Amino acid sequence: MTSTPWSRRLLAATGIFGLVFLTVPLLIVIPMSFSPARALTFPPPGFSLRWYEAFFGDPRWMDAMWTSTVVAVLSSVAALVLGSLAAYGLRRGSLAGRDWAEGNFMSPLIVPTIIVAIALYLSLAKVGLLGSFIGLVAAHTVLNVPLVMMVMGVAVRDFDLRIEQVAWSLGASWNYTVVKVMLPNLAPSVFAAWIFAFIGSFDEVIVTSFIAGKFETVPKKMFNELILEVNPTITAVATLLIAVTVLALAAVTLVLGRAGKLRQTLVER
Amino acid sequence: MRGQGFAFIAPLLVLMVVAFNLPIIYMLGLAFWDKGRGFTLEHYEGLLDAPVYLRVLGNTLRISLIATIANVAIGYPLAHWMRGLSQRARLIAIALVVLPFWVSILVRTYAWIVVLGNGGLVNRSLQWLGLTDAPVQFLYNELGVTIGMANVLLPFLVLPLFATMIRIDDRLLQAAASLGAPPRTIFWKVYFPLTLPALAAGTLLVFILCLGFYVTPAVLGGGRVPMISNLLDTLINQIPRWEQASAISTILLIVALVIFAGYRRLDRKAST
Repeated sequence: MTSTPWSRRLLAATGIFGLVFLTVPLLIVIPMSFSPARALTFPPPGFSLRWYEAFFGDPRWMDAMWTSTVVAVLSSVAALVLGSLAAYGLRRGSLAGRDWAEGNFMSPLIVPTIIVAIALYLSLAKVGLLGSFIGLVAAHTVLNVPLVMMVMGVAVRDFDLRIEQVAWSLGASWNYTVVKVMLPNLAPSVFAAWIFAFIGSFDEVIVTSFIAGKFETVPKKMFNELILEVNPTITAVATLLIAVTVLALAAVTLVLGRAGKLRQTLVER
Repeated sequence: MRGQGFAFIAPLLVLMVVAFNLPIIYMLGLAFWDKGRGFTLEHYEGLLDAPVYLRVLGNTLRISLIATIANVAIGYPLAHWMRGLSQRARLIAIALVVLPFWVSILVRTYAWIVVLGNGGLVNRSLQWLGLTDAPVQFLYNELGVTIGMANVLLPFLVLPLFATMIRIDDRLLQAAASLGAPPRTIFWKVYFPLTLPALAAGTLLVFILCLGFYVTPAVLGGGRVPMISNLLDTLINQIPRWEQASAISTILLIVALVIFAGYRRLDRKAST
């Protein structure tokens, strides 16, 4: 289509610019985190681990790390269990109002997060749970639900109903079929859904900033520090977060790639 | 089967109603209700009286529009270019688009402080090339906020657009060529119309997300480029005016839902 060399070159240039625009900021942060200097100059004038020492040596950062991890584990598991069950019920059941229920479960993705944050702030304040741990975990679970529903909805849809019917016809109960027949088959998708929900919760900043009260998570602390001043310790935190994301996505790629579901989950979201 | 299907959904439904639907309804209640007097539009009248609200609204719409246009200008050619790559190069390109999509928005926003700062990579390159003597001020103004937002949202446009483009049958384009259509005509009369629903849907999605942006304007704008979300933060956390925050949230919610309804229609068209 773009047969003239000139237009082909222009297209390639724009495409490469787009990729550079997306990735360069991440690639710059990584070497900066090993800089010995306090000022953010690139390339860094030497090599040091002082910002990593500053991060790991600071009990407040370690506290935030702990809180983030606990909240992410609890809320991702809760979203995974509730979301997978619901995805199964929606795909296999024949409920009236199914579209409505599914739309409602997906809506935390569409409603601007700031509105979720404000609605939760106002109502948690009303019932006296503002700044409570349970409120924080519940909020993260709600935000994770659409991520789980997306992955598990596709997985259940693509799973051959006849396999379940065989199990039923052999006398297996619905619950037995889910646990012994479906779960082992859907394990790759379950894993992917869990990772996505975990990352989603671990990175959440807006709702957390509004409702977490005295609880500090890594993104919340990072956000507060960014607004006050530019502290190079953040480059170390940022690099660690990038590393965690890369590892998590690599794990998902491996598991789903083996199951041949990669393209579906990553591109056709 | 009917009853059992519901048993699977019920636990999540309870959570969503308690921790999502009821809070939003309560917020709507605050926006339209006054103790003792019942239903009121008073909180909305207050919004019209204060010029600061209208200015923030104007800011938000302008920045969102520019960031969306920038997204389309970069995203469409990028997706189109990726379609023409070899299998292996295409996988690498997809990975480079997907990875930033999953990296924390804070990290991506922070990275721009490093890249665009006065001693940052971009300014040093500009000075080295002799294009400018003094550092260009990218940060803490609308320019920086727009760049940061366009960057965060680009994958939201590129991924669905690419998914649509890859489904377009090459034989369709070859047929047009064999009938003697020049490349430009094939692109504008055959290829582009096929991608248009996906492009329009992606554009609307990016625009909705722009309207609710909070982190990027707060960090890259340094408090000097308030958007709706930052105003809401002020109304909740600094000068508590919960009713007005609820009123503004309600407007934002309605706008987002209306645009989303348009998105859904286009998205269905794009995926059939």
